[in-house]
Amino acid sequence: MRVIEVCDLVVEYRQAFRPPVRAVDRLSFEVREGEIVGFLGVNGAGKSSTIKVLMGFQPPTAGEARLFGQSASKAHARRLVGFLPETALYSPYLTPYETLRLYGALQGLSGRRLHAQIEALLEAVGIAHKMHTLNRNLSKGMLQRLGIAQALLGDPKLLILDEVSSGLDPVGRRELRDLLRAQRERGATIFFSSHELGEVASLCDRILIIHRGRLIAEHTLSEIQARFDSLEDYFIRTVQQGFDSLVQEVAA
Amino acid sequence: MSVSLMQVCRALAIAGLLETIRRKDLYVVLILMVLMVLGASTFRVFGVRGLEIFIKDVAFLAIGVLSTVLTVLIAARQLPDEVQRRTIYPLLARPITRGQLLIGKWLVAFVTAGLGFLVLAGSAWLLLLVLGIPLKPIFGQYLLLKLMGIGWLCALVVALSVYLTPAANVTISLILAFGSGLFNRLLLMAHWERGLDALWLNWLFGIMPHYDFFDMSQKVVYDWEPIAWWVIGAMGVYALTSGSLYLVLGWLRFRRQVLG
Repeated sequence: MRVIEVCDLVVEYRQAFRPPVRAVDRLSFEVREGEIVGFLGVNGAGKSSTIKVLMGFQPPTAGEARLFGQSASKAHARRLVGFLPETALYSPYLTPYETLRLYGALQGLSGRRLHAQIEALLEAVGIAHKMHTLNRNLSKGMLQRLGIAQALLGDPKLLILDEVSSGLDPVGRRELRDLLRAQRERGATIFFSSHELGEVASLCDRILIIHRGRLIAEHTLSEIQARFDSLEDYFIRTVQQGFDSLVQEVAA
Repeated sequence: MSVSLMQVCRALAIAGLLETIRRKDLYVVLILMVLMVLGASTFRVFGVRGLEIFIKDVAFLAIGVLSTVLTVLIAARQLPDEVQRRTIYPLLARPITRGQLLIGKWLVAFVTAGLGFLVLAGSAWLLLLVLGIPLKPIFGQYLLLKLMGIGWLCALVVALSVYLTPAANVTISLILAFGSGLFNRLLLMAHWERGLDALWLNWLFGIMPHYDFFDMSQKVVYDWEPIAWWVIGAMGVYALTSGSLYLVLGWLRFRRQVLG
């Protein structure tokens, strides 16, 4: 089953008295159920714009994005999706417990089930002891853990994570990897962007590389490991050499 | 799992109230209330005979100004704060529509500003009782009409917040709220000058926001008898239709707005 389908997606940003900036240029890819897919690219490549369209935060200029076969712009399409934004900021006047209660209620959860899930998630991300501390008194890493917890609320079937390990220390990153593996074991599909290539290598089945809004490479981790010294080597060479030369090299 | 509008409104209202309490906005209102009561109670030393009208006028002017400023400030930050803090992303990542979020934010603003107004009006009532100046039953109608006006003003400000920057929104909303009475009087004067055939003036009068329609403070000050309930009902219809229109206009832009 195709969980994510992106077809000829174009995202342009209008500017006053200047031609529009094209952030995503005829991008097409798909993610199947149960996969963990890394979405890589240098800064400004178009990753966040693509994710914004997938989450319905922004309408596409052309093309379409679908989640579970439904247009990503429909609220109903997001009922099985957990999302972690690039910069995890949460209301400074609420506690982690209240933040998750708000998001859980907006997800349609309530009562004891929601309470139990909030406690379990805060325990899993390691901030249960800060459950009733105001968010403004939490560190950046703790806020990122809270962000991960809100993304996992309601046991989503698809996780879309933008810069997932941002702000986490090495211990936090290891815990995050374990958490994401556990999500995969329960059958969740994970689509994430990250600049931490070691983390990508340890988690992903498949990697998509986007450059200047276009998909320039799409390989499984085993294909990459067979042909390149490391994921970093693959990434840098891919971005530098461009799409055409890479295709020739992999084909050879 | 679909989420109903009621669930969205309830969740946002609880979180919004918690935020407002912790932001200490209502504490400022409470402090103002205490200062008003303490300050005005000093009048007792000198006696208030002959000053009843003046004291009531000052009290209701203070309630009107403070509650309007509070309403505009609370409503103007509902959506822009979420966008600025980027908390709008995890909110909209839930299976809720932007229309539901807009209505939820209006409700948060209405409940919070309404509570602030009731605190102010309650304090004024207490203060006047302390001074031996009771209020007539029309005070109840004043409260009801003003609450309608606050809901209507919240709709206007929340809708403007998707078109304007927060600073511009606050400025224009305050001009519209405080200036509406003046504009309307000027329009009426022009109407009388030009005669009844001045159709465009009628149109202009109809289009202009009429926050002043919701203010019965002068009737309370001068101890009028309660007004006919059909007038209150008509104002309710006006608040509902024009408030809904403002929210629809806000939604038309917000539903396709690129955030951040």
